[in-house]
Order: sequence, then structure tokens, then C-alpha cells
Amino acid sequence: MSTEHGWYVYGIVESDVEVLPGNEGVGDPPAPVELIRSGEVAALVSRVDVDKPLGSRADLFAHRDVLDAAAGAVPVLPMRFGAVLSSRTAVVHELLEPHADEFTDALNQLEGETQYVFHARYDESALVHEVLSENPDAMALVEQIRDEPIESTRDTRLQLGELLGTAVEAKRSADTDVVIEAVTPVVAAVSVRPPTHEEDAAHVAMLVDIDNSGELEDLLDSLARSWEGRANARLLGPMAPYDFVTTTQG
Amino acid sequence: MTTAVQPTGGSGGGGLERPGGSGLAEVVDSILDKGLVIDAYVRVSLVGIELLTVDARVVVASVDTYLRFAEAANRLDLAETGQSKGLPEFVEGAQEKGAEKKVKGAARGAIDTARETVEGFVERHNGGSRRKSSTHARAEG
Repeated sequence: MSTEHGWYVYGIVESDVEVLPGNEGVGDPPAPVELIRSGEVAALVSRVDVDKPLGSRADLFAHRDVLDAAAGAVPVLPMRFGAVLSSRTAVVHELLEPHADEFTDALNQLEGETQYVFHARYDESALVHEVLSENPDAMALVEQIRDEPIESTRDTRLQLGELLGTAVEAKRSADTDVVIEAVTPVVAAVSVRPPTHEEDAAHVAMLVDIDNSGELEDLLDSLARSWEGRANARLLGPMAPYDFVTTTQG
Repeated sequence: MTTAVQPTGGSGGGGLERPGGSGLAEVVDSILDKGLVIDAYVRVSLVGIELLTVDARVVVASVDTYLRFAEAANRLDLAETGQSKGLPEFVEGAQEKGAEKKVKGAARGAIDTARETVEGFVERHNGGSRRKSSTHARAEG
């Protein structure tokens, strides 16, 4: 064991929580997840060797797994990946005690809520068909590059690509609005995530009352069916409220 | 209308996919630039541990993207597009190959399974799980 170690912080929970044995966190080898309590709040932590870099695939999944597992049972405020403090005392005196009120407020607001992420991606050929059929200018450019070598049509291709790119952005924006409108009756909040792919149709995080999860899924399933052949949609969750917990100060 | 229950996690088909677990990219999306920033709360005892992770964000509008879009348009069967094939026809086309549909039943099962798993992680001193306690509170209120 290394002489230098710190305390990796996953998130904040209420202090009337127990971590069951057998749960392991980040690091290699991973240490057990424990709680450091202070008054009404507590930090989910595990010991890490500070000489070893963090960020392996296993570390990222461990961070996520600890938070999602906790969020399945109690409200939790997720920390961004990579938060390490020097001692247990520091966790109490610098993190938990001075911010107890705001953490408690935030945890109260999250009581009974959970997060889902809806992520849809266009089918490329359906997308291009759709855009071209709505855009005669782009169609004319396609005719120009048809069967021509890339070298001699680069400018035309860029022009066409930009037209298509702009059209796809407009579709993404419109389809994102469709998602938001569809889920608004059952969600507490939505947060639009940036696209992670140029053919993303929508990427939306939703905070929902756990009791409304089934209804949310029904709504999104109907939406996904209406997009059949045009876009593929997936729903991730329930998960910790990553998109709805923000640091407002500094 | 009845629906058949099939395992989730495949690709293609219609309806909402409910993957049993998320991939690395999705994990990265959630935990690298979201959540509470420790620096805002703790200043003295922060440990500057080296992080290996990289920003996986893609640049959506770029020359490469434009060239890719142009090539995708170039590959399309123009005769088909020329007839202004509308969305309904696309949907029909997709349904023909819609053999691997995923349905709600399977997805619902996935949710329950996931929750049972997580209920084993933490428990409150009062012994109530989150779902039970929230349902309970609502029933009483």
C-alpha cells in the first residue's frame, strides 16, 4: 500500500444512509465505498492512492456505478469525476460542514426524483433522403457531384455538406423540441445535452418522479415508434441526477 | 394490440431501446463535465490527482462533417430521392425489415431488475427503500 492516499468523493447523500459491504470504488485495486458523515449530510467516498492517475475505463464505470446504485435507493448529489480530498477530516470540515445547508436543500429537492437520458440518432440514409427531398438547392448540388471525383468537386461538396449540416441542425433542434414537448406532462425538468454525434436527433436528460417512470417510458416509446426508420432511440436510466445538480458559486 | 417480449439491447427495429447498461461514451457524457465541481466547495485540501480522461466531445460542424454528408448524399439512389420519397414511405420501408422489434414489456422488466439491484447498495436507517418510501408517502398524503 502506498504511503500517500486521499479520499475520492463520489457524491453527497443524507446521513441516515448505510453503505452495504461489498461495494468497491475507483482505483486499482479498488477500495470499499464508505460514508463520511457530518450532521445531516454524508459523503460517499473510497480511499485512493494519490500517486496513481485515475481515469481508466474501470474507474469511470466505478464512479458511475456507485452513483447510480446510490441514486436507485436515496437522493444523491453527484460530484464530477476526479474529486479527491486529502483526509477524512477535510471531507468533514471543508466539504460537508460548510455546505450542509445547500446540500440538504438540494437533496430534499431530489427526493423521489430520478434521471433518464433519451438519445436518438438519425438513420443516415433516411436523414439524407428527408433533407434532400425538402431542399431543391441541395438536390441540385448532388447532381453536380454525381459520379465526379472528389478532387474536382471539393468546393461543391463542401457547399452541399454545409447545406445538409445546417438542415440537420434545424431538424435536431425541431426534434429536440418534439421530445421536450412529449415529456413535459410527466417530467419535473429537462436539460438538453449537446449532440455527441453529427447525426444525433435529440439528446435530452430528464428529471422525473420515480412513480412517473413508466409513464415517461410509454411516452418515449410512442415517440420512438413514430420515428421508426427515421431515427433510432434509446432510453438510459434510471440514473443519478448528473444533469440537474450544478455548482452555482465560483 | 399485443406485443411480443424480446430481449433488449440489439440494434435496428422500431420502438425505444432500453439497453441493460450504457457504454463508455455514455458514462463519459454523464460524469466528466456534469455534477458538482469539488473546487467550488473545497480549496485547501484538494488533491490534484492526475486524470487520464480526455474530452470526448465531437465538433459537429466541421469540414470533415460536411464532406461526409456530401458523400452520403452522393451514395444515395437519386432516382428514388428524385421522386421525393416522403417519410411515410420510409416508415413502411423500415417496417418491412422490422423483425427485431423491442417492446415495452422487456424494457419494463429491465427497469425493475435495475432497481432491485441498486436497492442492495445502500439502505436507510429506517430500513425503507427509496421507491417504497416515496410510494408510501404518496399513499398517505
